[in-house]
Amino acid sequence: MEQLASALVYMVIGVSVCAFYFYGSNFLLDKLFPTKNRAVTIVARNLRITTRIRPWLFLGPAIIFLTFYLFYPVVDSIILSFYGRAGKEFVGLSNYSWLFSNDEFLESFRNNMMWLVVVPTSATFLGLVIASMTDRIWWGNIAKTLIFMPMAISFVGASVIWKFIYDYQSAGNTQIGLLNAIVVFFGGEPQNWISMPFWNNFFLMVILIWIQTGFAMVILSAALRGIPDETIEAAVLDGANGIQIFFKIMVPQIWGTIAVVWTTITILVLKVFDIVLAMTNGQWNTQVLANQMFTWMFRGGGDFGRGAVIALVIMVLVTPIMIWNIRRANQEMEGR
Amino acid sequence: MIRSSKRSPLVYLTHATVLFLVIIWTIPTAGLFISSLRDKDQLAVSGWWTALSTSTHMEVDRAEPPSNQVQESDHFVIKGNILHGKSGKISKFGYSSLHPQAYKAGEVAQIRNGQTLQVMPNGDYVLSSPTQWRGRNGKRIFYTAEIPPHFTLNNYKVVLGADGLGQSFINSLTVTIPATVIPILIAAFAAYALAWMRFPGRAILVASVVGLLVVPLQMSLIPLLKSYNWIGDLFGVSSKTYVGIWLAHTGFGLPLAIYLLRNYIVGLPSEIIESARVDGASDFDIFRKIILPLSFPALASFAIFQFLWVWNDLLVAMVFLGTSPDHMVLTGQLRQLMGSLGGNWGILTASAFITIIIPLCVFFGLQRFLVRGLLAGSVK
Amino acid sequence: MKKSLLAAALALSFSAHSVFAQDLIFPPGKDTRFNWSSYDALKSEHLQGKKITVFGPWTGDEKTRFENVIAYFEAATGADVVYDGSDSFEQQIVIDTQGGSAPNVSIFPQPGLASDLAAKGYLTPLSEKAKEGVLKDYAAGKSWVKLATFKGPHHKDHFYGVFYRADLKSLVWYSPDNFADAGYQVPKTMEQLKALTKQIVADGGTPWCIGLGSGAATGWPATDWVEDLLLRMQPPSVYDGWVTNKVKFNDPRIVDAIKEFGWFARNNKFVYGGTSAVGTTDFRDSPKGLFTSPPQCYMVKQASFVTAFFPKDVEVGVDADFFYFPPFASKKDLGRPVEGAGTLATITKDSKGAHDFVNFLRSPIAHEIWMAQGGFLSPDLKANPAVYSNDIERREGKILLDATTFRFDASDLMPGRIGAGAFWTGMVNYINGEPAKDVANDIQKTWDALKKN
Repeated sequence: MEQLASALVYMVIGVSVCAFYFYGSNFLLDKLFPTKNRAVTIVARNLRITTRIRPWLFLGPAIIFLTFYLFYPVVDSIILSFYGRAGKEFVGLSNYSWLFSNDEFLESFRNNMMWLVVVPTSATFLGLVIASMTDRIWWGNIAKTLIFMPMAISFVGASVIWKFIYDYQSAGNTQIGLLNAIVVFFGGEPQNWISMPFWNNFFLMVILIWIQTGFAMVILSAALRGIPDETIEAAVLDGANGIQIFFKIMVPQIWGTIAVVWTTITILVLKVFDIVLAMTNGQWNTQVLANQMFTWMFRGGGDFGRGAVIALVIMVLVTPIMIWNIRRANQEMEGR
Repeated sequence: MIRSSKRSPLVYLTHATVLFLVIIWTIPTAGLFISSLRDKDQLAVSGWWTALSTSTHMEVDRAEPPSNQVQESDHFVIKGNILHGKSGKISKFGYSSLHPQAYKAGEVAQIRNGQTLQVMPNGDYVLSSPTQWRGRNGKRIFYTAEIPPHFTLNNYKVVLGADGLGQSFINSLTVTIPATVIPILIAAFAAYALAWMRFPGRAILVASVVGLLVVPLQMSLIPLLKSYNWIGDLFGVSSKTYVGIWLAHTGFGLPLAIYLLRNYIVGLPSEIIESARVDGASDFDIFRKIILPLSFPALASFAIFQFLWVWNDLLVAMVFLGTSPDHMVLTGQLRQLMGSLGGNWGILTASAFITIIIPLCVFFGLQRFLVRGLLAGSVK
Repeated sequence: MKKSLLAAALALSFSAHSVFAQDLIFPPGKDTRFNWSSYDALKSEHLQGKKITVFGPWTGDEKTRFENVIAYFEAATGADVVYDGSDSFEQQIVIDTQGGSAPNVSIFPQPGLASDLAAKGYLTPLSEKAKEGVLKDYAAGKSWVKLATFKGPHHKDHFYGVFYRADLKSLVWYSPDNFADAGYQVPKTMEQLKALTKQIVADGGTPWCIGLGSGAATGWPATDWVEDLLLRMQPPSVYDGWVTNKVKFNDPRIVDAIKEFGWFARNNKFVYGGTSAVGTTDFRDSPKGLFTSPPQCYMVKQASFVTAFFPKDVEVGVDADFFYFPPFASKKDLGRPVEGAGTLATITKDSKGAHDFVNFLRSPIAHEIWMAQGGFLSPDLKANPAVYSNDIERREGKILLDATTFRFDASDLMPGRIGAGAFWTGMVNYINGEPAKDVANDIQKTWDALKKN
């Protein structure tokens, strides 16, 4: 209890320090360069100064955090990618040449491409469908909570439950995996889903879709509710039906959010390794880049150089998405 | 919401589709829940759905040991109930692993040398022999029984009764709440600046945020831990502190927070902001009085996710907070329970449900902020 | 902002826990089976108030048992020992050592990982005295010393660690009742074991339960099979050469051992669920098949620790027993080889207390306290077998001490990328139907690529 009390105090202090910074710095700026009740020239000058300084007051903490916690480690990793496994001897590009001649890397690259095509699209689409439908029914909130639930389950918990879905026992034995039990019930042959060549990747993807649909749903649902009533009412008056409203009015209105959700899940897919690690650890040709990176970085003593090379590949893969996002941002910003 | 289609078949289709999806989505979770209420040894032997109804089980158990035998006239008898008082109805039994279903319940099985075994449908058994029963262990009895659903809270008792669980729960809250609030605050300001303020280098910053989204957390751990240790040594403090982990989670959560919030804030109607500017409000006032209240749905949804990630995180906590009792987080404590080789699925399933409770409460609590009224009312 | 946060950090980093004498579970001096003189000897070390951090792979019950052992060290020396356990030890220790947060003492489940960190300069060599102690006190002391001798950062050999707690791999578990019901005898030779395997199939049963599943470590149980079989087919020198890759992975002798494993596991009739189930069945679930009605299988080959995964109503020694994985009668000259594994205590952050603690871990009393609590096998000749908590462990301990050839789990000694990577994957692929030769070639290829680095 004592700890909770002191923790609460520090929480309040921590959060207040943050709030105080924003308040204080902006207050100070307004005090130093007043823009009210002064001569026009002074006001104009001060206005220029404040508009130049204020963005950096707003952005300051974020930039500090991003630099220290993410940018600096990236630079560090880039440097390490030229060093050997002990991080001491310079090995030039040999980690890079190793990577591109590595069969496992080619396999994980191919698998990752499949993940990138399937997961973000499915999760976003399902999330959108569910978000728009649950808004129209009285038990929508309950439905949303149930769809959201997988997000709250830890990866360890998720891997156990999917083990009880994909489990395989040969024909004639009791099936303890739900999927095979259903197959057997309908008279089929039980399948070993996890080791089934090629398709096993999709069975792993299903798990991530199951988890991420909740994410897409929550964000898209917030966006859908942002569409002004009037817009939809106008469409209804024009005689549009539900499906037309959905595709012609709602989807275009929240197009930006859909793109954001899709981007977020795409990036998450590039980074995801828990599922693969827990279910197969890349066996049966299910390796993905992030898991390969994790394996090289930390397992068997760790080879940070090679791990870093894989991490850099992951980051390079995101470039097209970055460019697309910048373009979109620039369009939004036009005229502002 | 769409009143015109109230009576159209589309409504029924909507209900049906949502119901279908909800069922698909809930089945795995339901499986996890039911598994958590089952005996852990059963988990690996039969499917979780079989626990829902009376089902036929083949079991084996030992009779009372020979030390409990009594002499009845010229026979030595061992009596007992093989079901140990649990409900169930035995249909078949046997005394050998080769023929576990050799006899119908109630029949008398001849073992050898005049030894007999009789098992009644209610589980009562009688082992009888003309000579004294020997050995240390009870005889094995194989039986086939209809056993009604049987659930147990044992898994939960083990988890909830574990030492240090309450403490780790408080530790987790101590980590999670500031690690959720601080990034939101910082990100909201940054997002507003990136969305509505004009300054050189904005495009590059937006791009960097997207680029940093993809930085794998694992990559940052070692360089950051080095820095933490360096700073710790410099000021003579431990490198594993709550402040340290709050800041770490803030750093890791920030790109997504800025990205999501910027997207939302940029979509707010420009008329409001322009008119406020014309009225002479500073950007700080606009942010505080207009943007913040309008962004509630986005803030709430990000809060939900950040809370979830921090709550379920183990890796960052292990590295930046360690595992001493006053620092051990809930996820770490539960992992400890499973033992070195893992695989205790009873504990795993139960702890998955215990950890899920708080995030679900947060979701419920914040769900009411995900409403449209706030925004709709203020437009035009 | 920075300043106030630091102040908060200061206040939040709670001071070290107070040293309180934990109750010692076996009162010193009482039970004469214990080697109390080695406990009394500890008292000459004065470490009052010194903090020693220990990090190891044990969690749950094992953590409690180890902490009971630690209590004796604390009571005798006055030191404050803080033990942390993690089931992701392997990754955590890499982060901690490289990030500069290393504990004083680290207990490695795989010597291979320790050797890796030694080469990077993160381990501190132990004293000559410690080395001689192990040489003298441990059964086959020489091999235990050799197993803990690695190349340091300057390519010179040093003695780095003390083995504390051993596992015995060469065991086959079975249900004595099921054997009795079917009239089977415990096989004494590999030929008999193979004959028994066929006999069980002829009688309509399934001889083996084999599960290679282990989440992120899927595949490892198969490596134990191959290693044990190799020790029974080839002289130990081949095994030793294989570990260091002097004998290539695709050497015909190694390939033969893999094929021998295939004789058991790649026969649909020999394994429960058929070969296709072997790869995905969890190794923790496979022993449960021994105790079902009717039995799913008659035998499970697994290390001594597997008893932890027996159903909770199974009494070891009554419902379950083990026999030694037998050698080939046709290869008498190879004796009775035993494969084992063990955890290695090393110093990752130097201090006097750390050295004292590692020395304590090789003293008989540290072994006996855990032996008496169960789940611990000791290679220490001075530790009294009488304190083992049950007969099964006493018998296991005897196998360990009496082995004519003792070899450490090869996959734990190979470089991490092989022993905890390519080897596992290779075994999974082999079970999936890839030819033994191809699998061995693939593993050798990975090993070659590793050497270039």
